[in-house]
Amino acid sequence: MIVCVAVVGHQNNPLYLQSFTEADDALKLHHIVHCSLDVIDERVNNPKRSAPTLNETFLGLLYPTENYKVYGYLTNTKVKFIMVTTDLDVKDADARNFFRKFHAAYVDAVSNPFHVPGKKIASRSFGARVSTIVKSFGSGTTG
Amino acid sequence: MEDYPEELRTPPLSLVSIVGCPELHPSISAALSSQQPPMNTLALPDFTKASILARSGKARDPLAPPQAPAGILKKDWLLKHRTRVPAAVAALFRADQVSGDPAQWLQACSDLENLKSAIQGINTKLVVVLVQAQASDELSEDVTVALRKRAEIDSKHLVVLVEHDEAEWNRSLSKLKNVFAELCSAFYKEEGRRIKARIEKRNFSSVELSIRYCFKVAVYAEFRRDWPEALKFYEEGVRVLREMIGTSTRLPPTQRLVEIKAVAEQFHFKISTLLLHAGKVVEAIMWFRKHIRSYERVVGTPEVAFLHWEWFSRQFLVFGELIETTSATVPDTLSPRFGTADNALTEWEFQPAYYYQLAATYLREKRYAIECSSSTANLTTEANGIPESVMPSVYVGQYVRLFEQGDTVSVLPLSDTEYTSYALSEAERFQDSYEIIALFRKAYESFQSLGATRMASSCSRGMAIEYYAAGDFSNAKQLFDGVAGLYRQEGWTTLLWENLGYLRECSRKLNFPKDFISYSLEMAALPLFSGSVEETRENKIKSGPAGSPTISRRENILQEVVNVLERKQPPEGNDDGFSNAMEETTHLDIDQISPLRMVLTASVAFHDQSVKPGSPLLISVSLLSHLPSPVVVDQLEVQFNQSDCNFVIHSTQEDSPPLDSNLHGQVVEATSLTLFTNKWMRLTREIKSGQSGKLECLLVKATINKHLVICCHAESPASMEDFPLWKFEDQVETLPTKDNVLAFSGQKLIQVEEPDAQVDVVLNSAGPALVGEIFIVPVTVFSKGHTVHSGELKINLVDARGGGLLMSPREAEESESHHVELLGVSTVSDGKESKEEVDSIRKIQYSFGVVSVPTLSVGDSWSCKLEIKWHRAKSVMLYVSLGYSLGSSEEEALHRLNVHRSLQIEGQIPLLVTHQLLRPFRREPLLLSEIRSLGDGDKKCSLAMNESNMFIVNARNCTEVPLRLHSMTIEPDDDGKQLCSVQQVSGISNGHAVIAPSEEYKGIFSVNPRASNSNFHLGEICLNWSRDSRLGEAQERRVIMKQRLPEVSVEEPPLVVSMECPPYVILGIPFTFYVKIHNSTPLLQEIKYSLVDSQNFVFSGAHNHAAFILPKSEHIVSHKLVPLGSGSQQLPKITVTSVRYSAALTPSASAATVFVYPSEPKFNLETSCSASDQCVS
Repeated sequence: MIVCVAVVGHQNNPLYLQSFTEADDALKLHHIVHCSLDVIDERVNNPKRSAPTLNETFLGLLYPTENYKVYGYLTNTKVKFIMVTTDLDVKDADARNFFRKFHAAYVDAVSNPFHVPGKKIASRSFGARVSTIVKSFGSGTTG
Repeated sequence: MEDYPEELRTPPLSLVSIVGCPELHPSISAALSSQQPPMNTLALPDFTKASILARSGKARDPLAPPQAPAGILKKDWLLKHRTRVPAAVAALFRADQVSGDPAQWLQACSDLENLKSAIQGINTKLVVVLVQAQASDELSEDVTVALRKRAEIDSKHLVVLVEHDEAEWNRSLSKLKNVFAELCSAFYKEEGRRIKARIEKRNFSSVELSIRYCFKVAVYAEFRRDWPEALKFYEEGVRVLREMIGTSTRLPPTQRLVEIKAVAEQFHFKISTLLLHAGKVVEAIMWFRKHIRSYERVVGTPEVAFLHWEWFSRQFLVFGELIETTSATVPDTLSPRFGTADNALTEWEFQPAYYYQLAATYLREKRYAIECSSSTANLTTEANGIPESVMPSVYVGQYVRLFEQGDTVSVLPLSDTEYTSYALSEAERFQDSYEIIALFRKAYESFQSLGATRMASSCSRGMAIEYYAAGDFSNAKQLFDGVAGLYRQEGWTTLLWENLGYLRECSRKLNFPKDFISYSLEMAALPLFSGSVEETRENKIKSGPAGSPTISRRENILQEVVNVLERKQPPEGNDDGFSNAMEETTHLDIDQISPLRMVLTASVAFHDQSVKPGSPLLISVSLLSHLPSPVVVDQLEVQFNQSDCNFVIHSTQEDSPPLDSNLHGQVVEATSLTLFTNKWMRLTREIKSGQSGKLECLLVKATINKHLVICCHAESPASMEDFPLWKFEDQVETLPTKDNVLAFSGQKLIQVEEPDAQVDVVLNSAGPALVGEIFIVPVTVFSKGHTVHSGELKINLVDARGGGLLMSPREAEESESHHVELLGVSTVSDGKESKEEVDSIRKIQYSFGVVSVPTLSVGDSWSCKLEIKWHRAKSVMLYVSLGYSLGSSEEEALHRLNVHRSLQIEGQIPLLVTHQLLRPFRREPLLLSEIRSLGDGDKKCSLAMNESNMFIVNARNCTEVPLRLHSMTIEPDDDGKQLCSVQQVSGISNGHAVIAPSEEYKGIFSVNPRASNSNFHLGEICLNWSRDSRLGEAQERRVIMKQRLPEVSVEEPPLVVSMECPPYVILGIPFTFYVKIHNSTPLLQEIKYSLVDSQNFVFSGAHNHAAFILPKSEHIVSHKLVPLGSGSQQLPKITVTSVRYSAALTPSASAATVFVYPSEPKFNLETSCSASDQCVS
């Protein structure tokens, strides 16, 4: 189950952060998302990375913490997507698929002429769409 | 890790025992422990001690039904096998003990028997060692055989040690080591096989035994250094153990779980150590993940959850320490694509800090659990109390109660309730906070060095929360402050909110009301996820003391601040100290980088860019606040760098407060000063500009609730920064001023100009200046409205065509002379004033001068004259600037006013002088230089010696004013006076001649050179002139103008041809025309002459003829002519040719012209005839 998704902007500022948990650990999720930015920095700036992975947007599992797993995604405009899940076994394909859909939703949201780039995403339809994507995650359909 | 027993932490070593000959024991045990792999030695000094080797356990009745084991692992089993159960035992005998005395032999035999009986029943191997003093001491075969038989050992297990020969000693010792190694290996293999057989046959009654056997097999394998097998059985044991959780019923559930976890911990530790020491980091981490996953949800009942968390935290801590001590690094073979299918691990799992951080997190979880358990336990188990005499049992992870009844001490099992209360009381004794802080600090330092600042901040926050929980508020505040910086910078408002909540509480606890207010205001102004759809969900966030980040909570916090300020109620509880610590007014300073900019921002813009002093100007002051509810400002004070301009705005809604008499600014009343959230409050005021210079708005002080003064540094709208956290909010941006232009370009400072000068400076000039004269430019300073104090007149001459300098650079090097020179300034002396002038500064340079101007009151005037001399005709700009101040005081002296005037003055050459040289009329000397230099460019004028030549000087007035010429003379050079006589023929009569503009004056001189000289200087023309000033002017300035005459060449002519003809002739009356040729050479000269017919004359004489002229004599050619026509007529053209010099002479047209009267004219012919020969006008 996905417990949290976040969009993080260029200055590592949160543009969108939504938790999907009934428990009162939303603040902890904020912390987890914030800390995961360190891993993204490390992965993106790591010179050891070989050339074929340069264009890879999916960053994979960023780190496991407590009973969460944090996955990351970096768009070509350097906006970061972060997803926190409680699932023990997450298939790479599922995570990639999730991020692909999430990216599409994000692109649609920021294409809104009334949206100012770099500001928080306040669109309700984006929120609704993200909720749908989150609910469909791991339901077996990988299409 | 240090909590684990030593035997668990180090790999087990084979144990052998040596008995007898105690003096040799140290060297033998040292040799054995230095072996590879080392062996431990259990040294028994004599055979009486051998009994401890015997099996201590009570003999079990083999027929009795197998008892269910009371636990999984016995605590001391490993220790026993490492220290008390040797794999082999060696009996040491000295050679003389067995070979000599029969009594000694018997003693040796009985010792051996004792030893044999001690190790009977266990598989310990026996070795007999004979110690010889020398290698040469040969033992008899009988003795060794007898001894072997006694000991029932193979011959190879009887070793001879040679004591006193070092080489032999080492050799025999290594033999002993080999024997031991072989026997140990056999022993542990045998033991292992024995237990393994039980596992394989499933020959055990309970699952506990199965786990125990696995442990034992693995330990025996470790003794043998068979790591793979050890790993295999440890893993098997863990597997069985995990399955046991749900099935075992031996103990009450809580204690059962505790035992299982304790055993699992040992197994896990062994596995991790083995893997890490084998360099299998990845496997170790994978194993750790599996271990954690197996147990993370096995919490047990809520009352004992703290036990789980403590255990769980220890797993992380120990694993982190293991990783740190083995300094595990990321293997190169691992794919660098962490976290993907290629490599399931992530970077941080290789870092001990990651485990420390989690260990700390779980330990904190334990603390929370204890807090829960304690509160419930206090209510329920108060009556039962805490059971006494509880101690760890012989089994790992079990606790029992000692029960004393009389002399007998029995061990009783505990119930879960008893155990729980015991564990709780034990756990409460520890201060976990310090442990947690230490772990977080370790993780913090490590993450900081890795460059993971956010993770480090998270650890820092963890520490801070622990300090906070432990009541160490100053440490907590310091740490929270550090963390808040990062969150502010990156805009994580929710995290910042929580952080500020703690900070607020810390300041409250520490009695820092100012910090409390500023943190509270910052919290209240934070942009939270307010107004979004998700508010209900976000409401759930528990943020420590901050509460949920909602608008209502922000409003509450603001209200709390107001209450604190109004001292209505102390915030939570009756902290008198807090109120006492409050000052009368609290000042908050907000600059451009302060996080409190969200609370209040002041933008100040002048409507103009510059203004005249004293004139009114408009200023817009805009205030913006992000506080959630409207804020009423009691008083707004705007401060400038010129304090005269300060003004204060009072809100009339409030009860009018007493005006502060100290304020020297204007006080204005405004209807309402209420700041609505996120809306600019715009005020436009008219103020009077102060002194000239920069007028800058510095501060805007807003007084809120009478006791809070917020000092905002004024910001220019043009250079205003975004609001730190609000810039990410998706909201309409508003401008500080309504005027868009002002909002983007407005400045908080304005230039106040200098006041207009009320003094006039007049420059007069009388037309163009003339080169050579001292040109006077009168300057008049006239005060129209200002009194002039310490005035100073600066004069500057600049080339009008640019370039600045009044001379060319080359000329500057050669001489200091300037083309135009400022000679001096003469002030008009009006009696008194001239005397005061003495002290005044007067500084004149070639093109620059400074003159001080006396103090002038309104209406006065002062004038001076500039004396400027032109050396060349040049156009010059004259700049005159008057600087003055309005008063003599120091303050006024700083503000100087300046008046600038300029004038262009042309420099003109007054007289253009040309000259002309004329030879005598009808007299032609033969000048040889003229014949020779024919065709040369630079033709020097040649003069014949002893001939009188005419010299005409023309002086032409080039100016537009009439000039007076006082004299015109030629001044010959010093030596020229003797060589040449120059006489003025016509001169200036009546003192001077006036030359009107563009008129000429001609002066005539006769020049008569007396010596031949090819380079003769005639001298200079001197003109003495002045302007033709009107009558009545006091003085005229005469100027002497000199011009050098060119060189001439003076030579002696060999032949002189002179023509003689009457000055006029009368029609029809014959006259004689002579041509006289004078030969002044000592040579005979041949000449030829020819005469061409003229239609106006008839003549007698030869057309062509030749003649010879004797030396120093004269030849006269005469023709009689009769004029035929009247008027000016051309005589017949005569050509005289000198054969010697090849020179021909034809008289010029003027010389060959004669006027023919039709009849005899009526005038005195005598006088004119005599003069006509010499005078030509």
